[in-house]
Amino acid sequence: MSRLWPIVRREYLERVRSKAFIVATVLGPILTGGLMIMPILMAGQVGKPLRVAVLDASGTLGPRVEAALTLRKRDGRPRFIVEPAGPGPYEARERALKDAVLAGGLDGYLELPASAVEKASASYYGKNVSNVIDLQTLQDTVSETLTGLRLSGAGFDPGRVRELTKRLDLKTIRLTAGGEREDHGASAIFSIILMMMLYTTVLMWGQAVLTGVIEEKANRVVEVIVSAIPSVNLLAGKLLGVGAAGLTQFLVWALSLALVSLAGAGFAAAGGARMPEVTPLLLVSFVLYFLLGYLLYSSLFAAVGASVNTTQEAQSLAFPVFMPLVVGVMFFPMVLQSPDSTLSTVLSLIPFLTPLLMFLRITVLTPPLWQIGLSLVLTGATILAVLWVAARIYRVGILMYGKRPTFPEILRWINHAN
Amino acid sequence: MNDTAIRLRGVTKGFAGHLAVRDLSLDVPRGSVFGLLGPNGAGKTTTLRMVMNVLGPDSGTIEILGQPADHAARDRIGYMPEERGLYPRMVLEEQLLFMAEIKGTSRREARARIPGWLQRLGLADWGRKKVNELSKGMQQKAQFIATVLHEPEVLILDEPMSGLDPVGMDTMRGVLLDLKRQGTTLVLSSHQMETVERLCDRVALINRGEKILDGLVSDVKKQHGTNTLVVAFDGDGAFLASLPEVARVTDFGRYVEVKMRDGADAQAILRQAALRLRVSRFEIVEPSLHDIFVARVTEHGSGPSSPAGVSAP
Repeated sequence: MSRLWPIVRREYLERVRSKAFIVATVLGPILTGGLMIMPILMAGQVGKPLRVAVLDASGTLGPRVEAALTLRKRDGRPRFIVEPAGPGPYEARERALKDAVLAGGLDGYLELPASAVEKASASYYGKNVSNVIDLQTLQDTVSETLTGLRLSGAGFDPGRVRELTKRLDLKTIRLTAGGEREDHGASAIFSIILMMMLYTTVLMWGQAVLTGVIEEKANRVVEVIVSAIPSVNLLAGKLLGVGAAGLTQFLVWALSLALVSLAGAGFAAAGGARMPEVTPLLLVSFVLYFLLGYLLYSSLFAAVGASVNTTQEAQSLAFPVFMPLVVGVMFFPMVLQSPDSTLSTVLSLIPFLTPLLMFLRITVLTPPLWQIGLSLVLTGATILAVLWVAARIYRVGILMYGKRPTFPEILRWINHAN
Repeated sequence: MNDTAIRLRGVTKGFAGHLAVRDLSLDVPRGSVFGLLGPNGAGKTTTLRMVMNVLGPDSGTIEILGQPADHAARDRIGYMPEERGLYPRMVLEEQLLFMAEIKGTSRREARARIPGWLQRLGLADWGRKKVNELSKGMQQKAQFIATVLHEPEVLILDEPMSGLDPVGMDTMRGVLLDLKRQGTTLVLSSHQMETVERLCDRVALINRGEKILDGLVSDVKKQHGTNTLVVAFDGDGAFLASLPEVARVTDFGRYVEVKMRDGADAQAILRQAALRLRVSRFEIVEPSLHDIFVARVTEHGSGPSSPAGVSAP
């Protein structure tokens, strides 16, 4: 043990003291917190009202539509400022409005044809026609007005009809063992963000092990070290040290996630918006599946690093190693869609996919405990097997220079490493 | 008390179809300064790696200070590989602490020893600097400190002088002699025959994985007789090599070393030389290690025993 500690400490300090680590550790929570809080803040943000005019060909619709637009409000503030279309014949008014829009005095104008009510059609002319939300509001407003006119024309009371044809407000409620809670639209995005964080960090810290091994080999430090301690100590110390740095980062993130969700919950409640919920199970599995993913992939990366001489050489060998991670990411929409299907369950139990997919399932539903347990056992066993193989490749590879070994050669290293 | 520092018996090591070291037996007595010589690819590094238990031999036994070459004995040896290895972005003092620690020395002890060594090798102002800010010669000295900080009883140095300027070489030689006086056993692997000749009392010569010479430097020289001449002259001395008395001529630039055939008369060569050249020096000397090295390796057949790519030379 005493010969492991110096390695662990050296690796840990080297990572934790690096600028990249400090930046990522501090920026991570700020970005995530931002991503969670931003939508809430933005919900309260309303842009400037749209300046519009109504070009009416029917001669009767204009004032009604103008009144409806003026009255239209979102979050208590008017959405439209209706400018008069001006006097004169139709063509002159149209030309004047066009000029006003091009000159910037007006955002756009609405053209109501004489048959607007019967055909339910109108046109909007504006410099900017990609402000979807505003245009949707405009459409809804005009549509409601025209519908009202059609209804009264057919002898119905528009107010009464609106009441009778009220749209369904579907609330989605997620059942969990702990009780029921209203589900939020933010949940899926939140799950994806957390899973992508897992993906990125497992890859990032695995790469850190990879480049660390290659550098030690290139600097020839490795020979000095393995002349003092067994190579397996160096490998174990490296995995633990780099892993501890990753864990430190993760704990900082998990802690800020918990804080943000606590602070955000109160904040969100006040603003009437919704905030993803962070449960202890989620936090624990976030950290746990990071550790499993890290150990699994970084031991493979260590074996790759030991087999090559340069980072460039490592690229081609590293790709098959992190392929399963990419596959895991590719499967995520399907798992998110039906997290408890047989396929999702099976995929999330495959050790190389477990860290991402089982975690993803945990974020959207609570899988049966036996599944979580089984995923931990399977992944744990795989890690031990991979470590055993990686240690043998590592032991021989770190002292080999020159030509990159072929696959049969690597197999031979595994078979009799001495 | 065992008086052998390193003992190899019938050690053989092969890599993918060829033998890097074959049936090698060696004894390095305690307190000696032992020169391990051999051309590139002769198997020196492989041998040293086996001694350091970085590699395991295919057959044969290795003992360090009377114990099998396992982990317990490793802390009592210091090993400086030919390819220096330090972490470039690590502060020198921390690096030294780390190296001492993995050799089982406590941080406190190591910290107490560091200033003395930095002082001794002229690195006193560099302790807080990162290794990649040091010059090549300084890194070489730093590597040496990392090798001796745990106060090993046996010190194995692969090319200890490479990268040092003449002042640095003198400092290093002084340090090595001090260590020898304190009873440290030194094993030097080097191509610099001058260094070996000045420091070593024993040498072994390895070629193509086999030992072809072993013994006290004085004995080795005696074995190779007093049939060597040093001749300095003006003029074209090319004809010397074709004289019937001459076996081989080694040109050192300002003088040549002439190896005579057995039973040849030095005076005959002197007469021939005086006829055709302006001779400024003519001396019968002991053969240099360099000459013995070249002669024996040529005799034994050259060519590396380990092709590049399988292991470092």
